Amino acid sequence: MVTVQEHDFNVSDLIERLHQKHAGQNGALLSFIGYVRDFNPDAPTETLFLEHYPGMCEREITDICEYAKQRWDILDYCVVHRVGELHLGEQIVFVGVCSIHRGDAFAAGEYIIDALKTRAPFWKRETLQSGEKFWVQQRDSDVTKTAQWEQQHD
Amino acid sequence: MSSITVLYFAQVAELTQQRQESWEIAAPTSVSTWLTQLVERYPALAPMQERLKVAVNQYHVNHDAIITPGDEVAVFEPVTGG
Repeated sequence: MVTVQEHDFNVSDLIERLHQKHAGQNGALLSFIGYVRDFNPDAPTETLFLEHYPGMCEREITDICEYAKQRWDILDYCVVHRVGELHLGEQIVFVGVCSIHRGDAFAAGEYIIDALKTRAPFWKRETLQSGEKFWVQQRDSDVTKTAQWEQQHD
Repeated sequence: MSSITVLYFAQVAELTQQRQESWEIAAPTSVSTWLTQLVERYPALAPMQERLKVAVNQYHVNHDAIITPGDEVAVFEPVTGG
């Protein structure tokens, strides 16, 4: 399941749903939650605004997850990503993966969040407590990490 | 049909002051050629020209991809979700 939404999500509900769908088969369930954090300690963050490309966004995340499902032995996945205005400490993204063995869940979950950061069309605009606004720039380390996953598969 | 639909996102939308527009193209053209025309139309994009990313019909493409009439072309800076 892939969802892009403005409202918050309940992590316990998402984990429980993912687990129940494959109860009996599930040997491992991995969950990752991304939060709004203070990007720069010298200039405190007030809010983060997330813009996305509707349609392409959902499809791109689904493609990433389906690729992970082919590459690793996972039973299912769930990704929920929020958009709109978010405050410091709020949840931004949930990635859940379940599998028979933990190794596949760890690898698939890490790949999904890495690939999402470089491929899913979201953009963050940060507003500082001073009122200054700017668009967050993509980190080179994120691009390198995703490229490493692709190289490992060659 | 000899036009494409162009979508602008995030900082690109702010600089062009547009979110969507229809754009006439006479013939299929490469993304790199079209980006040059885009920057001519919106000089504010010039400083970020090298960073601009393009999606055609909702798929990421390289700058040597071809845009044809009827396509949905989106322009944006590198993505920052997650």
